[in-house]
Amino acid sequence: MFVILLICAMGALGIEALSDLSDRTKSDLARADGITIDALAVFGDLERPPVVFLHDLHTNALEEKSKDCMTCHLSENGRLSTRFKRLKDAGKQEVMDIYHANCIECHTEISAAKEKSGPVVCGECHRKKPTILSSRVPMGFDKSLHYRHSRALKKQCERCHHEYDQKSKKLFYAKYKEGTCRYCHKKESEDLISERRISMRLASHLSCIGCHRKTMAENMFAGPISCSGCHDLEQQQEIEKIDPVPRMRMKQPDFVLIKAGGKESSGARMNRVPFSHKSHEGYSDTCRGCHHKDLKSCLDCHTLSGSKEGNNVKLLQAMHELDSERSCLGCHEIKQRQERCVGCHGFISNRRKQGEPYCMKCHMAPTQERTGVLTQTGERELARMVPEIWWAIFGARQVADIPKKVVIKKLVDRYEPVEFPHRKVFRALEKKIDGDKLAAYFHLEEGTLCQGCHHHTPAAKKPPRCGFCHGKPFDEKDLFQPGLKGAYHRQCIGCHDKMGIEKPVSVDCTGCHAEKKQ
Amino acid sequence: MAISRRKFLGWLTATGLSSAFGKTAHAGTTKHFEGHPDSLGVLYDNTKCIGCRTCEAACNRVNDLPPPDRPFDDLSVLDKKRRTDAKKYMIINKYDHIRNPKGPLHARIGCNHCLEPACASSCFVRAYTKTKEGAVTYDSSVCVGCRYCMIACPFNIPTFEYDSAFTPRIRKCTMCYDTRLVKGELPGCVEECPTESFTFGRREDLFKIAHERIRRYPRRYLDHIYGENEMGGTSWLYLSGVAFKKIGMREDLGVTPAPALTASALASVPMVVGTWPLLLMGIYAVSKRKEKIATEEKEQALADTIAQAKAEADLKISEAWQKAEKEKEKAVETAVRKALEEAAETENEESS
Amino acid sequence: MSQEATTANRSFITPFNIIASIIVLIGLFLTVRRFSGGLGAVTNLSDNNAWGIWIGFDLLTGVALAAGGYVTAAAVYIFGMKKYHSAVRPAVLTGFLGYALVVLALHYDVGRPWRLPYPFVVQQGTTSVLFEVAACVALYLTVLFLEFSPAALEWLGLKRARNLAVKFTLVLVVFGIILSTLHQSSLGALFLIAPSKLHPLWYSSFIPIYFFVSSIIAGLSMVIFESTLSYRFFSSKMDETHLKEKDDIALGFGKAAAYVIAGYIAIQIMGLGADNDWHLLGSLYGLWYLVELFGFFGVSCLLYAIGAREKNLKLIRWTAAWTVLGVIMNRFNVSLIAFNWQLPSSDRYFPSWMEIGISVFLVTLGLIAFRFIVTRMPILYEHPDYRDAHRAKGGS
Repeated sequence: MFVILLICAMGALGIEALSDLSDRTKSDLARADGITIDALAVFGDLERPPVVFLHDLHTNALEEKSKDCMTCHLSENGRLSTRFKRLKDAGKQEVMDIYHANCIECHTEISAAKEKSGPVVCGECHRKKPTILSSRVPMGFDKSLHYRHSRALKKQCERCHHEYDQKSKKLFYAKYKEGTCRYCHKKESEDLISERRISMRLASHLSCIGCHRKTMAENMFAGPISCSGCHDLEQQQEIEKIDPVPRMRMKQPDFVLIKAGGKESSGARMNRVPFSHKSHEGYSDTCRGCHHKDLKSCLDCHTLSGSKEGNNVKLLQAMHELDSERSCLGCHEIKQRQERCVGCHGFISNRRKQGEPYCMKCHMAPTQERTGVLTQTGERELARMVPEIWWAIFGARQVADIPKKVVIKKLVDRYEPVEFPHRKVFRALEKKIDGDKLAAYFHLEEGTLCQGCHHHTPAAKKPPRCGFCHGKPFDEKDLFQPGLKGAYHRQCIGCHDKMGIEKPVSVDCTGCHAEKKQ
Repeated sequence: MAISRRKFLGWLTATGLSSAFGKTAHAGTTKHFEGHPDSLGVLYDNTKCIGCRTCEAACNRVNDLPPPDRPFDDLSVLDKKRRTDAKKYMIINKYDHIRNPKGPLHARIGCNHCLEPACASSCFVRAYTKTKEGAVTYDSSVCVGCRYCMIACPFNIPTFEYDSAFTPRIRKCTMCYDTRLVKGELPGCVEECPTESFTFGRREDLFKIAHERIRRYPRRYLDHIYGENEMGGTSWLYLSGVAFKKIGMREDLGVTPAPALTASALASVPMVVGTWPLLLMGIYAVSKRKEKIATEEKEQALADTIAQAKAEADLKISEAWQKAEKEKEKAVETAVRKALEEAAETENEESS
Repeated sequence: MSQEATTANRSFITPFNIIASIIVLIGLFLTVRRFSGGLGAVTNLSDNNAWGIWIGFDLLTGVALAAGGYVTAAAVYIFGMKKYHSAVRPAVLTGFLGYALVVLALHYDVGRPWRLPYPFVVQQGTTSVLFEVAACVALYLTVLFLEFSPAALEWLGLKRARNLAVKFTLVLVVFGIILSTLHQSSLGALFLIAPSKLHPLWYSSFIPIYFFVSSIIAGLSMVIFESTLSYRFFSSKMDETHLKEKDDIALGFGKAAAYVIAGYIAIQIMGLGADNDWHLLGSLYGLWYLVELFGFFGVSCLLYAIGAREKNLKLIRWTAAWTVLGVIMNRFNVSLIAFNWQLPSSDRYFPSWMEIGISVFLVTLGLIAFRFIVTRMPILYEHPDYRDAHRAKGGS
């Protein structure tokens, strides 16, 4: 009967359940050399999907036939154009014809010679759903690579670094002003009035690969010219790393006094901050980490009250913004996210207002009012001396008297009291800050290390017990404070999870407290 | 006012239809139930949950549920996704590999104690009650077992004791209302959770807590409190480290409370009851009238025909009579004439 | 095993009787199993799929197909189309038996059937569409019973009671139409509360209207279908009037159905537009929806129209069967196939053989009852004592 058919239809449709096409990864088809050809996008909406072109595949194939880059790239002013068989994008039809004619012709030739060739049919290049996953990783130019280049080129910085003269519309070299390419070359090519700044991608490929090719032509060791040579993760990891990198000589100061600059210098209220530029150079992989716009001093743009050059970011924000990657405090916060710090520091929100007691940790050099106006050399001397004085006076770490074991029996119900190896844990934490100057500096005072667990209380030799603040949960008068049981478990388990501590297992209750025999 | 019957009926139909089949009953109302004042709720924060199943064990114990197939400290149970059933009011599901780099995230599945529950709205014996404390409770002493509440619940929570022949009940989380809440105690899961992943309190306060957590740790949380508006708002709220649909919670339920979905259909009932009799009796009256008129016309036609036939017959008869009269006269005349002529003849014969 | 078939005593051993007996025996066995073991012992229902074919088929489809009663009564008594008069009693009987079986099936499906009166006498859940359905179905069953009672009373020879019952006809018909409108549409309205579970092509705020209009279509078609079957099996019971009028009934109802189906398709399409669901038509469920709407309803509309114009009774009768299938399909789609469409296939529902067995059992009971009544009571013929009563009748 029809009714039975209908019931079967239910079964069939149920089984036909909308197939889930997501989450299908084809890791075996991941390549680093995929280039999306959407050259016609400048002329309007694309009629067909853009073509994914595998560059290394083609360069390797051509190399086997002893053909080089000139097969596809035209030369202009001694440099190869990155465009395919053309120097300019003349018009939609012309560009399209160039691609179609050349690609399809070459493929046809090769397949006529009975060799493996590429597609000739429209849909095989213009695929709706790409079959190749990109495994390209961005390539960075860190200090080690920079040093190797600088050494190989015998410190001829002008080979890469240039600036642009608006008036003469020419590139020129400015010594001691060599900044990162990214100060001018951004993500997209810009056509700022007559500046025609090309994108970082274009600039780096033109510059780097151009130079590497020239060097290789002279039979010298050079960097990669293939896509995967830079952009493949494995090959990236094979790039030789120099460690430690000798310090770059750019006439930069060793010690600096961070203060309000220029006209505002007399109006500053806070003590000035001595800053060891020399040490901090070693903490970042690139100058751009702090000198995010150019190599000038922070104070030139970030004034006390904010200025247009500094995007109205006041000096305070520039130095203290906790949620930033380039402010002083922001960078320190990021350092606290390492596994050995995060057990305690993970609980501290970076949306907090940093407390006043900590200001003096950096603001230790007396104001201009007290020292009088100093020369630049004088200021730098002051910046060098003040921390040394401080260390001399306060530098010795006081050893706190930590109890060996703390028995937590306040909430005993189904489990025995917890025998907490307090001293062992404390020593472990001490070991974790060993060797780290930042941690050592901020954890010098007695009781600061304790504040990881004994929080919301001043650093002290004998901090309050957890049960002195945490009591019954869900107190209407203190909405944000967990009860004692929650506090213990969140703190302990939270720290262990964040620091990747495998024993005790957080879901195994008996790992910390034995079950009570009923 | 002169109005044709047809027009009148047309208007009546239009009124009836348009009022019976209106789209929403919200036109003209601004009612929006935001919960009883000071009602309670629970905030579940899955960034604190470690998946230890202590809450499940507590729920089982407090509600006197039958022992589970596998013990509560067997965490391999979490390797499969489960749903609530007649023996489990609440379950935790584990989702691995959805948050880099650290650890799995969990989801709590159980009754959300909606502000305007679909189950309560759909129950035709009012077996569900939204208490003023916020919990949605179930009364098995009136339940007929129709399971419409299971159809209605958008979260698929109520479960049915299919194996019970004579006393099948719906089973679901009650926020430990009868066993704990009315005594001023905490629900079992809330009390037992070691990391206080469940925060209990007034619903308004839970929002403050949740928003403050999001404010303090924006990278840790998704900026959305599930249950704030979903299905008109629920008393059980959720914070999560990843998108909710990744942990098996539907994001496409909308903000309309369930009762509002059937409000217009129910509102049309009195309209139909009121207008249908008019409509039907009107049609009936019209059809009866048509019949009567048809009968009358038929009779009239019959009468006319008869009258006409009679008239023709009468005419014929009178004509015939007249003709007969005339002929009689003529005959009489002829006879008289003849008689006279004969008399004259006889006279003539006698005189000669 | 008597082979002697006298004119007065037909043999009990007929193919229908054998099969029916087997089904009834199995049905009784399953009934015992259901009530001693609970729903889980007999059905494939689960926590995700709370309603199965006992609701989808026995309730929803049963109510839709029993709609012939009110439609025919409306046509004859309200619209005054006297030439369909002989269709009233069979339609009312189908309706009455249909609803009786629906209520009987409900006793199987519900967890505690002895509590079915609770919504009326203990606690009223007036916010629930189901409450309204229950109230209307209960009242309508009563109405149908009263509408059917003259036939039974005539059979029993209770003249005074019969005459009294007949006086209420018009009131009952009006009441019946109101109740039918309410519960036919409310059965659809039951699903309004679950938009997240019903596929958007079937979910619409107009579901109540769709269900109501399709119940009219089902009623019209069922009357034609049932009259075809009655003629095939019970023609000896049909009197002159019946035989004379039945072709007119098929033609008239077929023509009416063509119009109503056309309207139904129009409002379905308008509903699609209102919810902007066009893009869903390109999916598998969309295809299924189109099969239901155009393959069944659309084709029926066309064939009814053709049949009515060319006075092709055979075409109309086959189309009636096709339309009934379409309505069944619609009820199945809304309650079972497009419902819970988002669940993975491992969580979807398929009825157990025992559920199907009970449904078949109930339908068989209905057929047996129908046969009993039709062969004894004045349904397909007029009782000699009341032959002219109908002529003078027609309401107050």
